[in-house]
Amino acid sequence: MAEAYPRSDSESVSSSDNEADWLDKPGEEDEDEEQEQVTVVSLFDDKVFPDAPSMLAYCKDKFGFDFLGVRDRLDLDFHGCVKLINFVRQSVKGGSTTLPQEITADHLADDSLLIPVLADDALIFCLDELPEPLSGQAAQAQEQGQAAAQVQQASAAGKRPVVDELLQKNAQLQAELEQLARQFTNYRLAVEQTLDKRWGVDDEGEASKTGSAPAEPRHPQKKEEKDESAYYFESYDHTDIHETMIKDEVRTNAYRDFIYANKPLFAGKVVLDIGCGTGILSMFCARAGAARVLAVDNSAILDKARENVFRNGLDGVVTCLRGRIEDVTLPVAQVDVIVSEWMGYCLLYEAMLPSVFFARDRYLKPGGLLVPSHASMWIAPVSDAGYVADNVDWWKDVYGFDMRAMQAGIYTDTRMTVMPPDAVCGGAHAFRMLDLHTAKVEDLVFEDKWQTTLSDKAEGLDGFVVWFDCFFGESREEVVEASLTAKEWAAAGRERVAFTTGPYDTATHWRQGLYLIDKGEAKDDEAGPGKKLVGKIRYAIPDDHARGLNITITWGLEGGDGQAQTWLLH
Amino acid sequence: MAGDHMEIEVAEKQLNYNHHGIHEEMLKDEVRTRSYMNAIMQNRHIFKDKVVLDVGCGTGILSMFAAKAGAKHVIGVDMSTIIFKAREIVKVNGLEDKITLIQGKMEEIEMPYPKVDIIISEWMGYFLLYESMLDTVLYARDTYLNKDGLIFPDKATIFVAGIEDGDYKEEKIGFWDNVYGFNYSPLKETALSEPLVDTVEMKAVVTDPTPVLTLDLYTVQPSDLAFSCPFELTARRDDFIHALVAWFDIEFTACHKPIRFSTGPHTKYTHWKQTVFYLKDMLTMLQGEKVECSLQNRPNEKNRRDLDIKIQYRLDTSDPKRQAEGTCLYKMC
Repeated sequence: MAEAYPRSDSESVSSSDNEADWLDKPGEEDEDEEQEQVTVVSLFDDKVFPDAPSMLAYCKDKFGFDFLGVRDRLDLDFHGCVKLINFVRQSVKGGSTTLPQEITADHLADDSLLIPVLADDALIFCLDELPEPLSGQAAQAQEQGQAAAQVQQASAAGKRPVVDELLQKNAQLQAELEQLARQFTNYRLAVEQTLDKRWGVDDEGEASKTGSAPAEPRHPQKKEEKDESAYYFESYDHTDIHETMIKDEVRTNAYRDFIYANKPLFAGKVVLDIGCGTGILSMFCARAGAARVLAVDNSAILDKARENVFRNGLDGVVTCLRGRIEDVTLPVAQVDVIVSEWMGYCLLYEAMLPSVFFARDRYLKPGGLLVPSHASMWIAPVSDAGYVADNVDWWKDVYGFDMRAMQAGIYTDTRMTVMPPDAVCGGAHAFRMLDLHTAKVEDLVFEDKWQTTLSDKAEGLDGFVVWFDCFFGESREEVVEASLTAKEWAAAGRERVAFTTGPYDTATHWRQGLYLIDKGEAKDDEAGPGKKLVGKIRYAIPDDHARGLNITITWGLEGGDGQAQTWLLH
Repeated sequence: MAGDHMEIEVAEKQLNYNHHGIHEEMLKDEVRTRSYMNAIMQNRHIFKDKVVLDVGCGTGILSMFAAKAGAKHVIGVDMSTIIFKAREIVKVNGLEDKITLIQGKMEEIEMPYPKVDIIISEWMGYFLLYESMLDTVLYARDTYLNKDGLIFPDKATIFVAGIEDGDYKEEKIGFWDNVYGFNYSPLKETALSEPLVDTVEMKAVVTDPTPVLTLDLYTVQPSDLAFSCPFELTARRDDFIHALVAWFDIEFTACHKPIRFSTGPHTKYTHWKQTVFYLKDMLTMLQGEKVECSLQNRPNEKNRRDLDIKIQYRLDTSDPKRQAEGTCLYKMC
């Protein structure tokens, strides 16, 4: 049953148009029962036949394809047959055949094959007309076989109405099956919820081991070594981080504004929300008219999301699933839209984007939309004597003691901070634009060129600041020029939504990444107003920290020798 | 209140980019560090030629104060890797032959001296007891402190008062009633059960403060940290009470001139801030009226550093509309 559930459900959800066709069919037939003519289109060409057996016989003779043979060899049930039909039709579509020599179960594994290639494919409705498999298996198959036998008798006697009656009965059973599948989904959710609740208790126990997460880690040494990913997900178990994110209005407003201003993009659609947290984005989508929203998160916060969804009366639309997106079984084969707030510090810290790519490649319908659609990364030089005095020089004399040992890391760690705009001492450079519809995991490890011209504020170059902008395109055809800031792009279009995490606008919980130059090792500071700096910036993933980042920046006067420094973001 | 500030700190914890950030915060807390400095450096006569144990020495600042104050030898103990930094620091300050730094648990390490004359420690956590190292200090006292030995500091008191905090309660608790048009009440319950560590303005305080726990470090036992204390709060003016605020005072009574500092709303900011317990009801009080309360605290059974706290209140007035009674459970974890 667990196997059958996603399949049958995917019929009802992923292809609501088809569903309507399937269910409406009997009604239509009632109306013009008299003239009903079944036309079964050949699997390999345009020829039509009055019934399935004659068509299949034709295919066997003319094209050497033994449908029943394949069915029996792979022991296919009703759904398996539907998939086989669609697989063949898909393979021979457009005249050229890509049909493999021997069809195996693997070819039919994809649930998307349940979606008819041919609208109103009569062959699918006639499946029960086919001869029973040699070895009778499941009760269902036997029933179908009996039905088929009846149909054969009936058609032999030329009694079309009996066929129609059986077709109608078949459709009815189909509808019942769907309803059962739906009930089962609900039951499964209920069980899941109960289990989650029980596990939630344990989770709390576990979380308390790393209990320093919600409050100040006053005694950081108590933090136990844990599997990194487990820690990553656990760090999102607690309410404060979600409060921080929801109250980050730059972030949440952008999603809200985009979703509510583009309701047609969501209305009637199936939406996947990856890393849903408290479920806010899922609920935006539901309010915008989505037919169904799948909210996935691997953190214990999902229990809260479920409650939130329930309390807002959206549990009919939003389905909460706990697990990694790579592991969960979605009740649909494909989705129309993927919404996700995956961005980390300096955009790529936490490495959640590969999961979004996975879901995009696995579940997003051809032509489906990703929200947001683009993200760009920026770098600018900074000069901030006050910051250096408070954070670097301060350690030279702490109550009369030299504590410079505490500075360790100041030139090797990324410092997340909100920089005042006047600390920026040169033009900002966009070094990378990601079109999320097409970007690949390989695009997240890179070395890009950058350059800037120092402004009058450049009294001395203290370091660099890195941030990202995020763009919400209304279609996947949207092209965002790399050099455009969020503000410029938004201003250029009607009601466009984009936001920046940079120093020139409202601070976000992402702050900016600050990279301080170790001047002890640096050569004479030749950088000054009007000078042009050129260099490179490289994002790499540390060997020992898959969710971290190593960022290397090189810089130097044009034509001169460059300097390089690497910082970690752990 | 410093709402924005808090949020950024929360994010910082998640990032955890610098394990030593907390030590920076503590060192930069002048009320704390300067009090210890004065208590030690102004009492050279007490520290001269003494063997001193610094429990949870961190960056070693208190050990160095003690060495400068003339201690014969200082032993600093800390479990954290911060001790490697402390060693570097002690060395560059030329105190390595005066200070021995040991990484490990107080209960497990081997002490170079069988007994010590003075224990110094900055063990206090939020609400004094949350994630505090007091158990460790008491172990060190019972195991290593000479008879007639001294403890710096040696007295700690928790105070409670009622506060008018409508705006901020609305922001922190009421926020969850309507989040972008959605009902988020599941998170409201969580928010209510989590005491909030934040700064409270003096003008928000409606009642007289009342002590609910006083610890004498020479005599207190670990079992004393589970306590229950009935108390009364008397309104100083007509106002509403949305929450109780708690803070603590610390004293060094062994000093020639007693040195103390407070972490209350009436005085300078410390990194401990104050701890706010939102009540389910809003109490409406007239000047001079009393609300009967009780505060029960016990270390969590699973994790002794976490606290389970219960606050009960009863406002008994002749005005039936203002009658209020309730029990609130909190968890600091």
